Amino acid sequence: MTAPLLEIRNLGKRFASRQGREAATWVIQGLSFSVPDGEFLTIIGPSGSGKSTLLNMIAQIDVASDGEILFNGDNIGVLDQKSLKPGLDRRVGYVTQDDNLLPWRTTLDNVLFPLEVQGRLDDKARARAESLIKAVGLSGYEKYYPHELSGGMRKRTSLIRTLVYDPPVILMDEPFAAVDAQTRTQLQEDLLRLWEMGRKTIIFVTHDIAEAVALGDRTLVLTKQPTRIASEHKIPFGRPRNVKDIFALPGFAQVYESIRAEIQ
Amino acid sequence: MKRHRLLIDRILVCIALLALWQLASWYFGVYWVSTPRLTIVKFYNSMMSGEMLRHAGYTIEEAFIGAVIGAVPAIILPFTLRRLPGWVSVIDPFMVGGYGAPKLALAPLFILWFGIGIESKIALVASVVFFIEYFSTLSGVRSLDAKLVQMAQLVGANERQVARHIVFPGAVPNIFAGLRIALPYGIGAAVIAELISSNRGLGYLVQIGAMNFDITQVFAAILGATFVVLAVGWFVDETEKFLLRWRPPADSLMEQIHT
Amino acid sequence: MTAANDVVSSAAPAGPLISQRALIILGRCVFAGLLLWAWQWSANEFGIIFFAPPLAVVQRLYEMAISGEMFFDVWATLRISMVGFVIALVAGLILPFLLRLSARLTEAVEPFILWSQGIPKYALAPWLILWFGIGDTPKIVIVVLMVFYVIFITTFAGIRAVDRRLINMARIMGANETVISREVIWKSMQPFFYAGLKVALPRAVGACIVGEFLVSTQGVGYYIEHSRELSDTVGVFAGIVLATTLVLVINMIVEKMEKAALAWRPVDRT
Ligand SMILES: Nc1ncnc2c1ncn2[C@@H]1O[C@H](COP(=O)(O)OP(=O)(O)O)[C@@H](O)[C@H]1O
Ligand SMILES: [Mg+2]
Repeated sequence: MTAPLLEIRNLGKRFASRQGREAATWVIQGLSFSVPDGEFLTIIGPSGSGKSTLLNMIAQIDVASDGEILFNGDNIGVLDQKSLKPGLDRRVGYVTQDDNLLPWRTTLDNVLFPLEVQGRLDDKARARAESLIKAVGLSGYEKYYPHELSGGMRKRTSLIRTLVYDPPVILMDEPFAAVDAQTRTQLQEDLLRLWEMGRKTIIFVTHDIAEAVALGDRTLVLTKQPTRIASEHKIPFGRPRNVKDIFALPGFAQVYESIRAEIQ
Repeated sequence: MKRHRLLIDRILVCIALLALWQLASWYFGVYWVSTPRLTIVKFYNSMMSGEMLRHAGYTIEEAFIGAVIGAVPAIILPFTLRRLPGWVSVIDPFMVGGYGAPKLALAPLFILWFGIGIESKIALVASVVFFIEYFSTLSGVRSLDAKLVQMAQLVGANERQVARHIVFPGAVPNIFAGLRIALPYGIGAAVIAELISSNRGLGYLVQIGAMNFDITQVFAAILGATFVVLAVGWFVDETEKFLLRWRPPADSLMEQIHT
Repeated sequence: MTAANDVVSSAAPAGPLISQRALIILGRCVFAGLLLWAWQWSANEFGIIFFAPPLAVVQRLYEMAISGEMFFDVWATLRISMVGFVIALVAGLILPFLLRLSARLTEAVEPFILWSQGIPKYALAPWLILWFGIGDTPKIVIVVLMVFYVIFITTFAGIRAVDRRLINMARIMGANETVISREVIWKSMQPFFYAGLKVALPRAVGACIVGEFLVSTQGVGYYIEHSRELSDTVGVFAGIVLATTLVLVINMIVEKMEKAALAWRPVDRT
């Protein structure tokens, strides 16, 4: 087997305590895992277990307190603020929990934003943006401002805004947590379809067991604080998958139950 | 440790500013820009002799009376019109016009009407304070949480009780935001009116200094006026803090844009 | 007042939405009429020395327009206001962006900026006149001082209020600091910027007029003050009407600009 694309070694994080009243506690401690190229990894953990914190460190918008992160075998320093390179030169995309759309840009302009700031805004890029907008069913809404879109539409926009510039690794932080169940299934299907086209490496964080099982090749379960890995589950379903019918597949109940037991 | 560094930084900035002033007085001559020491000594002496306090007292008196005359109707009006949105719309363009109109341009008119005594300054301050305070209070009354009113009505509050217990407390932050802008501006207006024509007040003190080519006197008077403005701002802030203990602290930078 | 009230109650049953609007417009006309009437009444009551009648003021404005004096004065005032405004705008915009580069410096100078805001800037006018003589410069400096703080403080507050998450998002996507300043910070500051502009532009004109009261041989402020010295009350009124109109027109223009620039915001803003 080749070296993993992304490797987390002994990662730890603690936040400075408020005015030194109490000692800083470790939110994450001794966390290690690796992600091979092209894997769809889902990470599940209770709320407040440090999932967002973990992704922030991988995306390099926050420093780690301990450990290291390797990308393609290179140690990318994440221990001091100064050496952080957010997005690791566009190699790590990040779909955050909040959609973080620029409110003064229309749907299309939001999707074009990364291409624009990277100086890659040519006809090909435009065509790609438009085909992505079409693929997630946002045609006709190109000229709408974020506040004129529904929550699900905003999520789609923020999703394809990251896909459009094609980073090799994409982090996703509970991207579908705030939408209703029906829209969520639709969004999951859209995501899988788009992923099938490129098979990028995805680290997808969620607190929804069914979502973790339905989307991932592999699922990591996190413990409560200080967060470590409780267990790892291989998801026994082939691709392409049909999210709607996944509950009926043989083996689903078993994986689901064993993850649920871990989280208890 | 970190606080220490900040304090030292600020002291350094302060010293740098004073040094700059001192350098300027060497370069341009004491005659033109005075010196920090002379200004402070002059300020101290005229405080001691009571002259500064007397003139500041006049200015504060004008500003205070004018602020009361301007602010009281400006606060009462939106409450009175709360149940009559039609009336608010009727007077709206006139209020917007009055708010936008350059009130300081009225100074000569007020001097014409009321003479160079205290009345013309009071009128100018009142006209400045009124419009600022009206719109602040109005936005407070308007942004009122309809759910809170419904809740109060559900538990049986009558109109007066709703106004007293829901509308008024809700609008207090806006009333103060208005005062925070209007009062320093009102003092500024009083000083301007005194500059244009007067025989007392801090503005007069500035004007006299300028007429005698006594820059030290000009600066000492400006220093006095600055203290008055800052003291009033501080007083409004503290009163608001006291009245609004229930509110989480907010960033008030936005409220200071008018001063 | 009662007249408008009667109209409201008698016409109320007619039609719901449209008549409501019509009533408000009617009410405004009645109110404007009342103001005019009060003006005329005061003129009769107090005499022309104290209160110029509306018609005389209109006639004076007409004469001023015909002779070209009006445009001469308006232009003089506008020129000074705009020169001062532009200088203050540039300084007030650039400085906060420079301060953004050093948190330490920002914290160190912040209290001094807030304190210096308390200086009654107009009180500096007599000194400025001694310094710069009676040309344009003292007036320009006054305008700059009056406008600078407004722009500076709103820009500063606007930069502070920018959503950190949007900046992080842009960084992750590979935006450099220049692009972030332009595309994220500047754009999300727009509501603050226009709030500042709405205060600053009228204030520039107001400051210029006060400057003209104190030292000038031209401009709207000079016209008002000069008329007062001649006890020409009609002139004082005409000048004030002119100044007010000027400021209100500028207000309208800024508001149009704001509406266009902030089209991306939800309409139900307060
Ligand atoms: N900036 C911060 N300062 C202090 N504590 C923080 C900060 N950010 C997160 N935390 C703490 O870290 C823990 C994990 O937070 P988070 O990563 O947001 O959890 P999750 O995304 O899994 O819900 C929480 O207990 C939270 O209180
Ligand atoms: Mg989270």
